[in-house]
Amino acid sequence: MSNFSSMRRLATATAVSAAAIAAFPLLAGPTEGTLVVAVNQEPQDLAAQGAYKEINAPGLRNVLETLIAVDPVSGEFIPVLATDWERVDGSTLRFTIRDDVKFHDGTDMTSQAVADSINWVWSLENAFTIQEYAGPGEITAAAVDESTVEVRSSEPDPLLEFRMSLNGISSPTQLAEDPARHFDTPIGTGPYSFVEWKQGQYWSATHNPDWWGLDADDAYGTTEPEFSDLRFVFRSEDAARVAMVQSGEAQLAMFPSADECARAADADGYNCVTGPSTTYLYGRLDHSLHADERLADPRIREAIFAAIDIAGIVDLYGMASVPQGQLGAKGTIGFNDELDPYEYDPERAMELLDEAKEDGLDVDGLSIEIVGRDTTPRIKPIVEAIGAMLDIAGIGTDIKVQTPAEFNPRVRITGYSNEPGRQMMQVHVKQNPSGDYGLLLLSNYACPNIEDPTGPSRSSVYCDEAFDAKLFDALASFGDERGERMRELVEYVHDRHLIVPLALLDRGHLVEAGLEFTFGTDHRIQAVYLDSVE
Amino acid sequence: MAYFVRRTVNSVLLLLLTVSFVFIAGRMIGDPALNMLGPGASEVALENLRRAAGLNDPLLLQYVRYIGNLLTGDFGVSYRFGFSVLPSEDLDEIGQPVIEIVLDRLPATFLLAAVAMGIAVPSGVLMGIVAAAYPRSVADRVVTVVALAGVSIVQFWLGLMLIVFFAVQLGWLPTGGYGGWTHVILPALTLAARPIGRIAQIARSAMLDELSKPYVVTARAKGVREWRIVFLHALKNAAVPIITMIGDELSALLTGAILVEKIFAWPGVGLLIIDSLTRSDLPLIQASIAVVAALVVIVNLLVDFSYRLVNPRIKLGSRG
Repeated sequence: MSNFSSMRRLATATAVSAAAIAAFPLLAGPTEGTLVVAVNQEPQDLAAQGAYKEINAPGLRNVLETLIAVDPVSGEFIPVLATDWERVDGSTLRFTIRDDVKFHDGTDMTSQAVADSINWVWSLENAFTIQEYAGPGEITAAAVDESTVEVRSSEPDPLLEFRMSLNGISSPTQLAEDPARHFDTPIGTGPYSFVEWKQGQYWSATHNPDWWGLDADDAYGTTEPEFSDLRFVFRSEDAARVAMVQSGEAQLAMFPSADECARAADADGYNCVTGPSTTYLYGRLDHSLHADERLADPRIREAIFAAIDIAGIVDLYGMASVPQGQLGAKGTIGFNDELDPYEYDPERAMELLDEAKEDGLDVDGLSIEIVGRDTTPRIKPIVEAIGAMLDIAGIGTDIKVQTPAEFNPRVRITGYSNEPGRQMMQVHVKQNPSGDYGLLLLSNYACPNIEDPTGPSRSSVYCDEAFDAKLFDALASFGDERGERMRELVEYVHDRHLIVPLALLDRGHLVEAGLEFTFGTDHRIQAVYLDSVE
Repeated sequence: MAYFVRRTVNSVLLLLLTVSFVFIAGRMIGDPALNMLGPGASEVALENLRRAAGLNDPLLLQYVRYIGNLLTGDFGVSYRFGFSVLPSEDLDEIGQPVIEIVLDRLPATFLLAAVAMGIAVPSGVLMGIVAAAYPRSVADRVVTVVALAGVSIVQFWLGLMLIVFFAVQLGWLPTGGYGGWTHVILPALTLAARPIGRIAQIARSAMLDELSKPYVVTARAKGVREWRIVFLHALKNAAVPIITMIGDELSALLTGAILVEKIFAWPGVGLLIIDSLTRSDLPLIQASIAVVAALVVIVNLLVDFSYRLVNPRIKLGSRG
């Protein structure tokens, strides 16, 4: 028998493997009526606060709804769980909530429940990541009567409506009785109720037959979702998401590459639907704050900007457009239509450098560190291209692509104050979904305070008292006056060559032929906006 | 017996070194709280996480506490949900124990590795035997080329090609994910390519060596049938290097399935490591790597111990 021992072990290994396969459960694929969406990442969590940004938890808005929402076509606020709202003053909004709405756990959506949910999400003590979209004051809510909720900001807040379009309203019963489940088992009011989250694989939801929208004539979307079930499948590889739509496993795939989108034009069975987003790619050049003093020279800054072929960067990125000399998208409050994109003019760049050199500035000793974060798509060729463009103009460069762990601390004042004399252009993407220039100007240009690193301007490298004074006045203003003040400030920072806008990004989705998908600049995936077409 | 004890102690020390290295590395690449929450996080959220996870304590104290907890099987809780919960002392109650998360993913990794080895071992051994039994034949050359291709091929490319061919073009198999038995075929084939090549190479070499030895010539002279010589005598003596290679490849499968799990969205420990690295979920990173390291150590120990079972003449631990 011993002669067979090694063979027996090999055979045993094979048999064990075969048994493992045989024992594996045979599961059916998606049933008819299931919308399968291939998404690019697994949610961090499925908490109500996560509804503020689609990338945090793709599809969550199908389960958790907001008081009001932004219409994906018009960009206007539309009623959802609130039927009406009014501004009481600069810091207060009063919402009339919809009658007879129930959470998926069967409890009533009362005005107190709405207030509790808002207070939980915006609590400073909780410090959820939604605070990145918080305004100048603390947001609190209170039930005024059975159908009215008053939302207050401790400081005047012109964007309070926008902030109320972000936070999901979830069951306060769950928060009171089982708060841990709030993070992985969302209980909302939406057209779909949560079913399960198989970690590492997918999360799913099923049609809510008691959804209020079925009987409401002012509800969003079609009011009659086409799919009985939803499944959001996590596929981080772009090619794998595309393959899912190509093979018919999924009807929708998030964020294909520009090449895949182009190929879809000739493909049978699926299309690529693209649309503008509020995400921008930019280069933030260190200024005078803790930076090399030569970077404060306006000629050097203008030369660097003139040396960059922005249209070339846009082509390199793909699915993007040339920004109009500013970071915000057209339609943003404060967008300055009179500005033009920074012109690509390497000869002008060289003239400016020569001029500075003649005045005794050590231009040849400059070495601009062009740094991108490795999680940004196509970042390596982009920083290499910028480096090559600056080299052509005679500006020394040092190209780096860093991990978030290396990159992130260098963005904030607490990090870069430790690098005196730095000459860095940080190439990065950011989003401004607010439809207003306020947060964008504050976070990118207001003077950061090393003593108060929690401030929203902590990632700015610019310090200008005159600008800050005008900015804070503008932030407190409302209506047309606000737009006018923001436009002036946009021009102010444009002329000082502080941040070079490199691209306004488009977003795309692969969609199975026969489906029509409507999405806005926030590219939310909501089943009520998916319709069959003949 | 002394050898077994010595090898086991060495393995435990190796594990301790590994978890210590991961612990230190995790704290040398920046502030774990900032890495987890990102540059947009508020100072309150950052401080909540630091306090709840004990990151404000001196590094030595954190290390001693970490190792002490490991000895009691406590790998900590995931930062995933707990970081933003008030009051943050509740992290232990809200956060999921990371060892539960890792153990939940292990069956998928085991299944993938088992199927891949189930394909690779018989295929590789058979290919090696055929090549050695008919040296310089067409079969030998085909095996040599296929084995070289298996060793050299880029898993990422192979995985995508298999998806395009079998899932998109033919529609026979799913593109990825975890469900029925059909889901495991493409990732297992992708993962098996390299071990097939390496096992075939080593089996061919070992069998060629054995088949040229005098006892084989004697057996042939005595008229013993060729298949008995090859499968019962030569293969038994060639088994030690083949088993060593299988053990080596099994270790590589456990650690190297990361890329394949990512391409096929196979929810094993490899994908978990990528996810936890992406989220900078330090306790989860530490636990995932510790468990994978423990598996590799155990596989290597078992391979060592199996030599004696395969060939009783081998004296383990002897010197000189």
